[in-house]
Amino acid sequence: MTAVDLAQNTLDGLMVGASYALLAVGFTLIFGVMRRLNLAYGPTIMAGVYLGTAAFISLGAPTLVVLVVVIIGAALVGLYVERLCFRPFGEGARAASMVASFALWMQLEEAATHLLPQHMNPFPPLLATQPLEIGPLLLRADHLVMLAATLLIAGAVTYLLARTKLGLAIRAVIDQPRAAAIVGIHVERVMMLTFVLASAIGGVAGFLIAATDGQVTHMIGMWATTKGLVAMMLGGLGSVKGAIAGGLLLGILEAHAQWFLGPQVRDMVAWGLLFVLLAFWPGGLMGAKALDRTMAVGRRV
Amino acid sequence: MLDIQDIVTAYGKIEALKGVSLAAAEGRITCLLGPNGAGKTTLMYSIAGVLKPRRGTIKLAGADITGQSPASIVARGLALVPENRLVFPQMSVAENLEAGAYQRRDSAEVAADIERMYARFPRLKERHTQLAGTLSGGEQQMLAVARALMSRPRILLMDEPSLGLAPLIVEEIFRIVGELNKDGVTIFLVEQNVHMALKVAHHFYLMEQGRVTFSGEPGKLAEDEVIQRAYLGTSRKTG
Ligand SMILES: Nc1ncnc2c1ncn2[C@@H]1O[C@H](COP(=O)(O)OP(=O)(O)O)[C@@H](O)[C@H]1O
Ligand SMILES: [Mg+2]
Repeated sequence: MTAVDLAQNTLDGLMVGASYALLAVGFTLIFGVMRRLNLAYGPTIMAGVYLGTAAFISLGAPTLVVLVVVIIGAALVGLYVERLCFRPFGEGARAASMVASFALWMQLEEAATHLLPQHMNPFPPLLATQPLEIGPLLLRADHLVMLAATLLIAGAVTYLLARTKLGLAIRAVIDQPRAAAIVGIHVERVMMLTFVLASAIGGVAGFLIAATDGQVTHMIGMWATTKGLVAMMLGGLGSVKGAIAGGLLLGILEAHAQWFLGPQVRDMVAWGLLFVLLAFWPGGLMGAKALDRTMAVGRRV
Repeated sequence: MLDIQDIVTAYGKIEALKGVSLAAAEGRITCLLGPNGAGKTTLMYSIAGVLKPRRGTIKLAGADITGQSPASIVARGLALVPENRLVFPQMSVAENLEAGAYQRRDSAEVAADIERMYARFPRLKERHTQLAGTLSGGEQQMLAVARALMSRPRILLMDEPSLGLAPLIVEEIFRIVGELNKDGVTIFLVEQNVHMALKVAHHFYLMEQGRVTFSGEPGKLAEDEVIQRAYLGTSRKTG
């Protein structure tokens, strides 16, 4: 093991972590406004990616068109999930939403295998150039695009939340939904918009992941749910900055685990982390204080 | 200004309001007193559109607002200072005030109103960048009032604004209630502090177990009698 290996692993992890970060941003937005887990989040992304790849295979759609199809597809499926699993149940019926979103997960997987019966499907690659050499380190150009897209979207979401009227409404709904209604915010509309936005962000993540792999299976749904969930938990529920930090950290940890312990161990890192987080560190990197304070306020009233 | 006829609101099968009728006259301070669990908060939320009544009508300045969304009721000029204040804890004081003006489109006037709130509540100005969750109880109450005023209401509903606050702050809250009323805001106030409530009220109601059991001006009923019924209810007194 050399310093170069360590640096290369960290760099690779950072790039893959960018996709986790995007997944976690979408996940955390949905969790923030709904206060309920959306198990169909990954499958929503899978559905968007499958629609995109279907357009690619059957119509020969160019990469940019595929991107648009994936984003719109994921957003529409997200709307469908919100209507069926979240809108009908109040915050009091968390289990109902979780079970319903699990049922939609199964339904979406079923639909995907009908759309494209092959297990493995080709996906248009993003940039098929040679890796860049930075001193002794190698860097894939498409990974760089992924990192740039993540930072761009994270910046846009942060701006939306901090500087716009819709952002103020979203934060108000996350913070104190009843008060949000009282001041005249259309809470259900804000939840729906957030849900659709988060699903579209997930769609971008799904596109980037499938494009860097050059292929896709329906397993991407399950994969996106777990990576997004762990990254979100790692960063702390309901924080965009935390979600990004959590995603990048998860990517780096996985890259090192793969290098030192072997590729079989790589995916176990996420599962192991999820367990450790739930058991010992439910607040995550940045959520702890915020969550404590919310709870303290909740208790005081 | 506010005219409520025979409102029934239920949680599942349990009717918390069993046919409530009352009115809050324009330019006046109307108080609603009653023991815990009488249904006062349920009534406030029913008026503000957060809870949907099963029966009855609620009129605001002559227009029927029964069952409308909270947003359209705010737009018609009614604001609520909810029980337990419910500030946005993770948002700054300034952002809480902006949220209070959510229905408004006149952003220059909104900014001017925020300055007016700071003039009226200097503590909020000092802490305008601080997260609302870190304010003291009294400051949070001031913020909840200021946030409600940001919608420029014609009628302000306040649900137990003095709850859990030190006596000096309670005095301050009631002074503000009086001032707002002098400025022309109609006030409909739920209170546990009978003494203070009877001092400011032009008219008051007693509510017990989901029904209005008394309506009159302060002085029509001896204060001990009101206190007795407001804290304990009639049923427990006789039974
Ligand atoms: N969310 C709720 N679910 C079920 N019952 C409720 C709920 N909120 C209040 N209640 C019941 O409704 C009745 C009236 O409560 P409330 O309106 O809070 O009274 P008050 O504000 O006068 O203390 C009480 O019996 C209370 O237990
Ligand atoms: Mg109450």
